[in-house]
Formats: sequence, C-alpha cells, structure tokens
Amino acid sequence: MKRLLALMKREFWENKGAFRTTPIAIGIIYVLGLLMAVITTVYFDNEFHTLKDAIRFIAEQDEGIRTRILYEGALSSAGLFTVALGFVVFFYLLGSLYDDRKDRSILFWKSLPASDTLTLTSKMLSAMVTAPLIFWLVFVATMILLTMIASAIVLVVGENPLTLFVGAGNLFKAWGLILASYLANSVWSLPLYGWLMLVSAFAPRIPLLFAVLPPVVFAVLQIWIDFLKTFTFKDNLFGVIGEWFANSPLILSGDAHEGSGPGAALGIPITDTFDHAVTIGNMLDRLFSYQMFIGLVITSICMAGALYLRHRATDN
Amino acid sequence: MTNVIEARGLTKRYGRTKAVDHIDFEIPAGRIVGLIGPNGAGKTSALKAILGLTTFEGDLRVLGKNPSVDRAALMEDVCFIADVAVLPRWARVWQLIEFTEKIHPRFSREKCLQYLKHTKVTLDHKVKQLSKGMVAQLHLAIVMAIDARLLVLDEPTLGLDILYRKEFYTNLLNDYFDEQRSILITTHQVEEVEHILSDLIFIQEGRIALDCTMEEVQERYMELMVPPEKAETARAMNPLFERVMFGRHIFLFKDVARDQLESLGEVRTPNVADLFVATMSGGES
Repeated sequence: MKRLLALMKREFWENKGAFRTTPIAIGIIYVLGLLMAVITTVYFDNEFHTLKDAIRFIAEQDEGIRTRILYEGALSSAGLFTVALGFVVFFYLLGSLYDDRKDRSILFWKSLPASDTLTLTSKMLSAMVTAPLIFWLVFVATMILLTMIASAIVLVVGENPLTLFVGAGNLFKAWGLILASYLANSVWSLPLYGWLMLVSAFAPRIPLLFAVLPPVVFAVLQIWIDFLKTFTFKDNLFGVIGEWFANSPLILSGDAHEGSGPGAALGIPITDTFDHAVTIGNMLDRLFSYQMFIGLVITSICMAGALYLRHRATDN
Repeated sequence: MTNVIEARGLTKRYGRTKAVDHIDFEIPAGRIVGLIGPNGAGKTSALKAILGLTTFEGDLRVLGKNPSVDRAALMEDVCFIADVAVLPRWARVWQLIEFTEKIHPRFSREKCLQYLKHTKVTLDHKVKQLSKGMVAQLHLAIVMAIDARLLVLDEPTLGLDILYRKEFYTNLLNDYFDEQRSILITTHQVEEVEHILSDLIFIQEGRIALDCTMEEVQERYMELMVPPEKAETARAMNPLFERVMFGRHIFLFKDVARDQLESLGEVRTPNVADLFVATMSGGES
C-alpha cells in the first residue's frame, strides 16, 4: 500500500502540468470570464439599471423554475473541466508506458523493487482517481469563487444573494453529482483506458497513431463490407463507440427532458438503452449493466497484454 | 562461498541471431567482475537478463532467484546503474530521494544526503538542470545509500569527463565495496577499471572468450618484448598474439615458463586491454 501510494505520487509529480495546472488554468478562465462580463456591463451601464433589472427578473421568477435553472446550470458548469479532463486522461494514459521507454528512465524505475503489476495499477488509478479528483476540487473551488463574486455583485445592486443563489440552487448536490459522474465514468471508460495502456506499452513510436488507426481502419472496413453486401449502413465499430460515449455516465449537456430545452444529461440523450437523467441510480445502472461487463472483459484482455509487454520492456 | 550469479546455458535470441549463445559462468560473492567485450558482443543482453529486464533461455539464478520472474523482489538486493542518462529528467532530486525511500526497504536517506553533501547537487535541482557528471554523482549517491548485495554497472562512466570518472570509481571502492558485496561492471574503458577488478570475463559474439581471476592473469599470461632479430625465436614458441611497437616485437604468451622468456627479452604482465585485443583477434582462451 505504501509503495502504491508512492508510485501514485510519482505519477502526480511527473504529470503536475496536466493534472494540476490544466484545471487551474480553466478555473482562471472562468473567473476572468465573469470579471470581464461584469466590467463590460458596468462600463456601458454605470447606474446598474440592466443588471438590476436582470437580477430582479430572476428573483421574481417562480421558485421551482429558479431552482431548476440554477441546478441544471451548476451541473453543466463543469463542462470545460470535463472536456479538458477527458483530453488529459487520454494523453496521460497514451504516454504512461511509453515515455519512460523513450527517455530510458524505465531502466531506473525497473531498478527499484516495485513490481510491474503495481506500476500498472498506480498508473490506472492515477487516471481513474487522481486526475478526476484534482479537476473536481479545482472546479468546486472555482465555483465557490464565482458564487462569491456574483453574491458581491448582487449585494451591490441591493438584492439578497442568499435567496437568489445559495438558497435556491442546490449547488452542493450538483457538485456531488459531478464528482460521482467523474468516478462512474472512470469505471465506464475502463475499456478505453485499458486500450490506451496496451497501446502505450506496445507502440514503438507515435502511440497516438497506434491508438487511433486500428479502430478507424477496422470500422471503415466494416462499413464498406456492409455496404457491399446490403447497400445499407448497419452496426459498426464507429456506432459501437458512439453509443458507448452517448451512454457514458458523464454529465454532458443535452436535451434531458423532452421539449423543455437544453439541460444537463448523462451522456448524450440520443439512445434509449439507459435513462439519461442525472441521478446516482442512473450512473450505477450503467456500471452494473451487460455493456459494462463486456467492457470489463475487454479491459482485462488489454491490461493483461499491457502487463505482458511491460514485463519485457526495456529501453530501445 | 555462495555464488551471487549462476548461469547455465544462458541464451538470448533476437529473431534468428543469438546475442548470448549458451554461456556458463558464475560470480562468487565479494568479487568485482569486469564483463568486457566489443560492441554487440552480448554484454548488455547478458546484463539485462541478470537484471530481469529481458526474457532468456537457459538457467539463470541471481541471489537464488530467477530474475525474469522475481525482478521486483530481486531488486531489493540488486542495484543497477546504466549509463548516465537514465534518471528521469522531469524529477527533482528530493522527489527521487523520497520516492526511493518509500519503494526501497534498504535505502538510507541519511547516507544519500551525506554523499550528496560532497557534490554541487542540491535537493531542489531538477535532473535536467544537472550536468552529466552531476547526474552520475546523484545516481551513485542513491545507489550507494542502498544496502544491496550485488551492484551492476553498465558503462557507468560513458560520456563523463576524466575527473568524474576517477572520482566515480574511487567512491565506489572506498565507500561501498566490501566482502559481502559483489560488483559486475561492463565497460569499454578497460584501463580505468583494470586495477579494481578481481575477475575478468571476456565475451565475444555471444560466447565467453575468457573467464579467470586477475591472479590467474598475472600467473599465466606474460608479455615479452624483443628486438626484431629475436622475433623468429619467440614466434616459434607459439605465442597467442604478436604486435609491433617502436620497432620492437611484443608477444603474448600463455602458460610458458617465465625464465624461458626472460632469456629472450623483457617480460611483464600484460594489461587487460592488450589481453583483450589478443583474445579478440582469434587467440584461444
């Protein structure tokens, strides 16, 4: 356990830029964005008329609608963090078993008594837990800061921020759900993570190419052969991956409630395999599904392959 | 005395070529062994097999363990320095020390810091900010702070300037080596290690060309220097190797009576480099 934690700390040290600086940079963009909006408004409207009217309009709304807008807004507000997290984890895993082969530091890591299994575990856990947790913490810190700035503005305008924000929107519940969705998505994404680690352990160079090209070639061949046989497009790997993504327990914006305009939804509500409303139950539904089971089988095969390759890996 | 390494029929193939071809050797505890051979002779392949960094055929035991199965456990007793460039460039010195301390049960932070005190390396340095020589000092400090039984060095001084090279081996001998420990070194720079070696293994095209102790070298090998007119007589005595330097003929003999040679000219013990050249250019072992 002590060794596993040391290995995970090592991963954090090596990837500080991706794991910590990225979310902080996004947080700064959020805060700067709000400040710029406020400054622009004040610049053209130094008596705060428009701002006052807008806030009064919101305050006069029905409590139910206000609650829903703020709640859905809070769920969607992690969007930029979520997308960036996806990219960070993708490229982290792609380099996880490749970079140290390339710079030869694998010879140092392998000269220490940490088994390959433990090393792979630490890297997978860094992708599944460390990165999402840091992104979430920075997200919550950003949101608290934004709420404070917004409250200050509301106070200046002469309204009560407690009724407007904190009282109305159940922010903590939304933030909790976002964390839950990150962790649920870490499990849901295991087949992708396993594939990336396998490629990372295998690729002699340019792991990105080895990660993307085989599935693309496979899917294109599938589509082509299907088309030759039936002159229609049927299920193919693109469809499978698309459906997997649309079903993910990640909070992505979409039309969750029919006809009620855009809102927060789990995945993209274009499939009806799972319910897309943002609840813990719906996240668990996905994790205890037949699809997840297949995913775990794929993950096991990939990880066994990655371990086999890592065991033999040296510098070259 | 127990053997630290025992190899029987050790073979390493890359496709059809055999980098290491069915070799047998053993390394007893408390020795400093030089594994010497030309480029591509199979030195690094043999070392990688010993360190559990590659698969192999045949029987290989390092401290009683099979390195390809038990690498992690083995590394509690084996230390390894490849040439200087293997410390991760992104890491800070304190991070490497903290990490090693948590991973390695036999690492002593105090010892490591003590060794580093004599260098210009500070805890806050990043590896990429250090010169090659300083990285070598850092790596040596980390390794010497580990209470291991076998230390493997693969071209440890490659790319270092002469000051660091001298210092490297001096530190190793003075502060690290004792009767319980063994050191296995591969290097091209035979001259700088020959005075510290206790055993020699020459390896050529995947096979062992010579395996003996330094005492045996002194007892059995002799170099004879004669003027040209005596060269014919010397040649008749079946030397291993002949070369000409400054108009004098130099012959290398094995297992020939010393007084017999002394009657012809000046006799001395060959240095390892000359023995190496003689062995590699077709002389039998």
